Amino acid sequence: MSRGEELVRWLEKELGGNLISAETVFPGRLFIDLKREALSAAAAALMNRGARYQVGVGYDARKSGQGFGLVHTFAFDKDSLLVALRTFAPEDDPEFDSLTPLIPGAGWSEREYQDLLGLKFKNHPNPRRLVLSDDWPEGIYPLRREVPHDLMPPAAEEVAFRLEEAPPGTSIVPFGPFHASLHEPAHFSVYVDGEDIKGCEYRGFMTHRGIEKLAQTELTYNDVPFVAERICGICGSVHSVNYAQAVEAAAGLRVPRRAEFIRTVALELERLHSHLLWLGVAGHLIGFDTVFMQAWRIREKIMWLAERLTGNRKTYGMVIIGGVRRDINRDRSEDIRAVLREVEREMLALEKAILKDRTIHKRTRGVGHLSREEAVKWNLIGPVARARGVDIDARRDHPYAAYDEVQFEVPLADSGDVWGTLVVRVKEVYQAIKIINQCLDKLEKLPKNEPLSVDLEGPIPASRQGLSLVEAPRGEAVHYVLTGEENRPERWRVRAPTYPNLQAVPSMLLNNKLADFPIIVGSIDPCISCTDRVLVVERRSGKARLLSRQELENLSRGKRSGR
Amino acid sequence: MWLWNKIKQLAISFRAGVVTLRYPFEPRTAPEGFRGQPVWDHTKCIGCAGCASHCPARTIFLRDICQEVRILLYDSSRCTYCGRCADLCPEKAITMSDRFELATDNRQDITQSIELFMMTCQRCGRCYDLEIKNYIDRLSSLGYRYDCLEARKVIRRSTTEFSQEELEKTVAYERPGRLEK
Repeated sequence: MSRGEELVRWLEKELGGNLISAETVFPGRLFIDLKREALSAAAAALMNRGARYQVGVGYDARKSGQGFGLVHTFAFDKDSLLVALRTFAPEDDPEFDSLTPLIPGAGWSEREYQDLLGLKFKNHPNPRRLVLSDDWPEGIYPLRREVPHDLMPPAAEEVAFRLEEAPPGTSIVPFGPFHASLHEPAHFSVYVDGEDIKGCEYRGFMTHRGIEKLAQTELTYNDVPFVAERICGICGSVHSVNYAQAVEAAAGLRVPRRAEFIRTVALELERLHSHLLWLGVAGHLIGFDTVFMQAWRIREKIMWLAERLTGNRKTYGMVIIGGVRRDINRDRSEDIRAVLREVEREMLALEKAILKDRTIHKRTRGVGHLSREEAVKWNLIGPVARARGVDIDARRDHPYAAYDEVQFEVPLADSGDVWGTLVVRVKEVYQAIKIINQCLDKLEKLPKNEPLSVDLEGPIPASRQGLSLVEAPRGEAVHYVLTGEENRPERWRVRAPTYPNLQAVPSMLLNNKLADFPIIVGSIDPCISCTDRVLVVERRSGKARLLSRQELENLSRGKRSGR
Repeated sequence: MWLWNKIKQLAISFRAGVVTLRYPFEPRTAPEGFRGQPVWDHTKCIGCAGCASHCPARTIFLRDICQEVRILLYDSSRCTYCGRCADLCPEKAITMSDRFELATDNRQDITQSIELFMMTCQRCGRCYDLEIKNYIDRLSSLGYRYDCLEARKVIRRSTTEFSQEELEKTVAYERPGRLEK
């Protein structure tokens, strides 16, 4: 009996009549429908059995008369099983039990649907606004069906996000939204006592771009991969592959093997350049610019390789639903091998030159320490978790694309600090090179005339669920797709890896020096635009207006004189 | 130990030398297969609107300004250069060129528009390019998916009304191919 069946039987016994249905439409995925009252009991039961919380997905199901839907997904990493618990609440009483007291990592997902769908969560410890901007008027919930995707309501007046008071004996140092050490907009209000950080509050979600709503109202299935790719400035393919996999799982499409290998190559190329980019940024943040210059010089070779392979440095545009668009033939694979050999050689030299350098050790050892237990409690993922000895990797635990056919190791570190994340990432660079080489070997053995994509034989059936994982360079990314009518997804939820990792940053910062703030935040490789992805372009007046240079100067002068 | 590491770093930096390119003073050529600005070949275009209905950025527009003239307008300012239009074009009228230096202060510089003279179908009264074999067949052979009713509507939108009946008639209609030389 597989783990999934065992789990279903056990839940039937535990929940009795509260379990409505359980089905496995795709291997390794278990979709369970529950009654609303049983949600927190079922979640607690799953967590007791060693599940890892992933993400919450809320959606508007009023069209089918079910009110509002809420899906919580859990992963059993040892058994390659993903479980989605779905419940519904009627429109006039959209209240669910909050899972946050039990699972702190669920806090953001619940706050998100409080903002976007108007759901309510009983016993949520911190039910403040998360996603919407402060001047978004009350009572307009952008993810609801009746709200158009381009709505620009008049801004609410005299509102501001109420940051918490600093604890007694500390003062506040604000970081961001625009700060030299942050590369994307986010606000950290850091409580310090002298040089020591005693706590921190985060206010982010400043770059909403309406992508999920756009896909649900305007785009069609095959348009979305190209838009999904633009969610992230580094790991675009992760999101397009992930979305395509979720739709393929929902529609029951089998992707040609050749396409899966090509997807794997694209994903690993991205991991290579992302880790090299991170290494450079980390060097820059601790004031070690030699690393920055040399890592980025090595990285540039991969960017040019990607340009030759896919037609663009970054937005590969390789993925469509059912396959890929471009082939990797023998000439190109020779090209890839040559570049990888060179990158590996250069990377080894660089590693030898910097990993024993005292500068790095002094700035990263013991900094941003988090214990293994804390890391599990906060559901950390990716190199951030692996640096704390948590042995998870979606490529190995939940194989997708061609990862079931390649051999690789999952590097771990147990130091639990920034140094650990650095070591893990450097080791992963070599693993990525190994994986690409294996994929190229296998690609050459596959029949040449295999099609690169399969065609749909009819419309994708509506209201099917698809759930997909991709191990992005920063950790696993989760995409949930609920298929809809009119050739577009009814609900598409993107959970970027920074989403859970960022929630644990306040714990990492605790009792560190203020000067280490940039590298601690940098150590999770925060990708704010992936995290903020959702919903509705907000512009204060609804009209774009350009400021002249003079106006801008006046404005900034006015600010400076304390107007 | 510390000094030895620094010497190694120096060696790496010296071996790499100066890598900064003298761009834009020395031109940079795009590699083969680069997805630059798409270019329409007006002699090949048959006005099928396959590109327009599949552009993820919705930056290609088709309008029938009268019974026999169809305008194709490509506004590059929002284009994401994904190359989906070139993939789907049944006549290979679109090529992704290697042009990438497209910054301009005048939107007209990067806008392309084509006036297409269409014929009128004697049976249904809507405009078709009858010189070439039925393009809808060609679209199908290239993987164009009829899974979107909305897109089908756009494809043959040369009257203001969309009629399911006409659509079925047209799909069922088979015309003789062009004589091969």
